Amino acid sequence: MKHLLLGTSVLVLCAAQLSAHHSFAAEYDGMQPITVSGTVAKIEWTNPHIHFFVDVKSEAGAVTQWKFEGYPPNMLVRQGWKRDVTLRIGDTITVSGWKARFDPNLGAAREVTFASGEKLNAGPPAGTGGR
Amino acid sequence: MTRIAVLTAIAVLLNGSMPLGQARAGQTKIPRAADGRPDLSGVWITGALSLLIGDKEARAIADADRAAGRTVAPPEPLSYKPEAEAKRQYYLSRRGIDDPMARCFLSGVPRITTRPLPFQIIQMKDQILFLYEAHHAFRIVPTDGRKHPDDIEPSFLGDSAGHWEGDTLVVDVIGFNEKTWLAGVGTIHSEKLHVVERYTRDTADTVRYDVTVEDPEVLAKPWHEHEIFRLRPNERLREYECIENNEDLLRFEKLLEIDPALRK
Repeated sequence: MKHLLLGTSVLVLCAAQLSAHHSFAAEYDGMQPITVSGTVAKIEWTNPHIHFFVDVKSEAGAVTQWKFEGYPPNMLVRQGWKRDVTLRIGDTITVSGWKARFDPNLGAAREVTFASGEKLNAGPPAGTGGR
Repeated sequence: MTRIAVLTAIAVLLNGSMPLGQARAGQTKIPRAADGRPDLSGVWITGALSLLIGDKEARAIADADRAAGRTVAPPEPLSYKPEAEAKRQYYLSRRGIDDPMARCFLSGVPRITTRPLPFQIIQMKDQILFLYEAHHAFRIVPTDGRKHPDDIEPSFLGDSAGHWEGDTLVVDVIGFNEKTWLAGVGTIHSEKLHVVERYTRDTADTVRYDVTVEDPEVLAKPWHEHEIFRLRPNERLREYECIENNEDLLRFEKLLEIDPALRK
């Protein structure tokens, strides 16, 4: 039991230390991974997170808009992103990440796949800070 | 060109082509200031490297560490007194929504250093400046022998007084408010927090960062943290203005309304 407690503490500490702005678990559910493909409708290139909105069309033609949260600009540029070049309104992208706990069309973005096939990290892995 | 000059040139070329940190420990002299002290100046990163520089480069650094036999002690759990531990558990049960960092408050010491954002050290004769990308924060650490002032107002980053012990810069920090967390969710402290940081430039590319944290009001025993700073010669500090569009606070309020798990 003691070892279990110690292990839990270390895990909690590790996860917490990776946090850069807020706890991932506060808003997102690491047990609900999602992958969404659609068209970029809007981009907020802001701190402490960027947000981008993706219009996703169903087979029946209905459009649902997803909102994704990612790293702030200072971290995105270090992952290879460039404002107004990497992600543009109208681009077709695929986003993988995790669902928010209660907002049905909000997600934490982990990776974006662009039309060229290039993939870039957009946010932290589940369990760490969501920035 | 003399034979020695050719050999030197080859050595420099070889050294420069090695991945960061690999096999350089102990081979490259550490830079020193005019007074002979190790020069800590430069842009450094620590903490969760993969968040900052990507998985590939973070893995390369980890591989270089293994090759050089460089290890870091695993994170040590904080040991709280019962009342403080109950508070910590409360914050954990609320999944971290109370984290001062999520409110864009300045992180304290040592958390400001271990966040995955670079910081710059500028070493001068009688003082050393620490510039942090997080929140544009700065610390001025005098190294001219002066002690802590007697008119300290409790603050997020406290009051720092530095001195050299051999090749190690030792920074004594007191005068904190209790509005920050030490490391992660619920790692509270009181105004009696006392932090001692030790900075040792052990190679040309790295600094050993060893911290001792005492807080007789909430901690059952001192807590130790160990990190390695990595020099980033081609890195520069950028801007991180946390408060600009912090939607998280509004989301937390909404979560509190609808999530019974958070209303404990």
